[in-house]
Amino acid sequence: MQDDLIIKTTNLTKSYGPHVALSKLNLSVPKGATGLLGPNGAGKSTFLKTILGLIQTTEGEGTVLGLDIRTKGDEIRSRIGYMPEYDSLNPEMEAIHQVRYSGELLGMNPTIALARAHETLQYVGLGEQRYRNIGSYSTGMKQATKLACALIHDPELIIADEPSNGLDISARDYMIDTLTNTVQSGNRSVLMASHLMDDVERVCDNFILLHKGKLAAQGRIEDLKAFDREIEIHVWGGASRLEDAMAKKGMSVRREGRVMRILHEQEDTTSLILSCAAEVGAQIRRMHEYEASLEDLFLSIMENLGYEVKSSEDLLGTPVQARKVDAPGHMGGGSA
Amino acid sequence: MTTQEETLPQQVEFAAEAPVTGKVRLEAAWGSTEGDEDLSVTMSSAPKSDGQIFKQQYKPWNGELNPRWMRNWAILRHHLLGVFKKGHRPWGVPIRLYLLVVFVASLSDVGMTLVSGLIGDSGLHSVWGVSRDNLYAHVLGFFPRNMLYYPVVAALLVGGVISEDRQHGTSALYFSRPITRFDYVGMKFISVAMIQGLLILVTLALYYFAEIATMGRGWAWIIDTFPMFLATVFSALLLIFTYTSIGLSLSSVSKGKFFPGIALLSIILGTKVLAFIVANLFDREILYLLSPYDCLAHVGQAIIGTQPTYDQYSWTWSLASLVAMNGVALYVLSTRVSSMEVTRE
Repeated sequence: MQDDLIIKTTNLTKSYGPHVALSKLNLSVPKGATGLLGPNGAGKSTFLKTILGLIQTTEGEGTVLGLDIRTKGDEIRSRIGYMPEYDSLNPEMEAIHQVRYSGELLGMNPTIALARAHETLQYVGLGEQRYRNIGSYSTGMKQATKLACALIHDPELIIADEPSNGLDISARDYMIDTLTNTVQSGNRSVLMASHLMDDVERVCDNFILLHKGKLAAQGRIEDLKAFDREIEIHVWGGASRLEDAMAKKGMSVRREGRVMRILHEQEDTTSLILSCAAEVGAQIRRMHEYEASLEDLFLSIMENLGYEVKSSEDLLGTPVQARKVDAPGHMGGGSA
Repeated sequence: MTTQEETLPQQVEFAAEAPVTGKVRLEAAWGSTEGDEDLSVTMSSAPKSDGQIFKQQYKPWNGELNPRWMRNWAILRHHLLGVFKKGHRPWGVPIRLYLLVVFVASLSDVGMTLVSGLIGDSGLHSVWGVSRDNLYAHVLGFFPRNMLYYPVVAALLVGGVISEDRQHGTSALYFSRPITRFDYVGMKFISVAMIQGLLILVTLALYYFAEIATMGRGWAWIIDTFPMFLATVFSALLLIFTYTSIGLSLSSVSKGKFFPGIALLSIILGTKVLAFIVANLFDREILYLLSPYDCLAHVGQAIIGTQPTYDQYSWTWSLASLVAMNGVALYVLSTRVSSMEVTRE
């Protein structure tokens, strides 16, 4: 199990004077794709710099790919590929030479680096554009070039900082597909920092949520989403009676007008809803599974659960009242 | 008529060798039947395939990464080869042209030595041939070399070397890899210094060896003049180091090419002019200690052994001033490079 972890930290703390940027982080990141989530100022950048071995920790310890972040920074950076969020390309250089140079900076032989640059640019979809100056590239092409720079030495772990930042829909889809392909067919691991929850959902199996330098939550996205699964119904006639009937049977109901969301806690929740509707004579004109988006859950965790929660198991075990994700205040939603 | 009887003539009419009649033309144009015909006879094209233009396939790489020296060599190579060919650091065309002009202009004494040797004119040789003063002038003469050539070359070279990494965020490319700040700044420093060395030291060496070759100098002359040559080389190294350290420190505090270049020229030429004015108006040479060029010239005069032009203080003060200037410049450089970010610049 320990061998499957690509990043592990124990009480990792980083302070800048009185300001605590990271506070006692205990993380275990398994192989595969992991999303690093958190609002601005959550400590994502500090965390990335720490695991890259670029800044000294104030307290605690950590390993990346089994290497100590305090003493093996150089070796860690040789074995990972980092794709920065911001521009990191020389606009006056051709992409092929920029990628080749990024390989040479890792210690690759120039001839091999050039051959590999061709391969990686082909992989990220810039095969035909590789002799163009980067300055003439679109944002999507620049992002793809940055990814090629990160992939040139076939790293075990790719750290992608906001990989789809500023991309249009098609470029974003392509970037996300490329990262997914890298994880699935390339068998590489990805740590992806992003504000776009949809992207994280599409690429990652796991997530880490940071808030104010602390670990707010970590676990599998699947588990996280499972905890808030609800059934949404559109009721015509007798909505209030139906709400009361369902509440009497112990179901958790949120309602706005004729739309109700019932927590899907048991296997027979659907039939219970239908039987309640039959009892009170209410029409259910539409019924479907409502899956909260990761963004809803993110807000829910930030607003309702705070950062005491450490794993998705904890999230699953939290009281129902705390799971009111997006219900308006008058419905009892918001802060629990 | 039976259905079978209707179908058979129709198939014959649509056959390739069938004559084009009015009825067939009507059928082909409007398809005026009920639409129940067997269309298999009209299928002529091959089944369509979606095809595959691009297949994204991840290719692993199992090679080994070379150690630190190879990474440093990559930085050096990137900057140096950029002067001569594409695919490396893109030095602008005006910069490359200016380097060429300065290189050719710096060879003026070489050319005149060759000419004087060729025509055997001793008057011409006494002006242009290798001597203590001419060796000094090749490196430290103010006009035109330290007014138009070397400071401008230094300004053009250091202008973007570090500041462009801040501007384009390319510092992340270095520091997210196993490149230390020391290696980063060290290799950039050596790259810029080597390009200046090509202009100053290589032309100096050519000058010295042109004298030996054209005038047929023997060992006695070489033994006599070689210490002067070495002292000039040392002066040139001091000049290159000083201009580079001040220039790179200015580059490290900026995000553009313009400021470091202009600031370097202002420091070198501005302090020189200011000290010159004060010395002439008030007969006080002390401000020359603030001028990098004058300090270099003073130290150069002392070690090469030419007639000193600074009378009011010892050359060791100029050396101390140079040490202090370089110390401050390197401190600023190291501090600024240490603060360069990987995640955000």
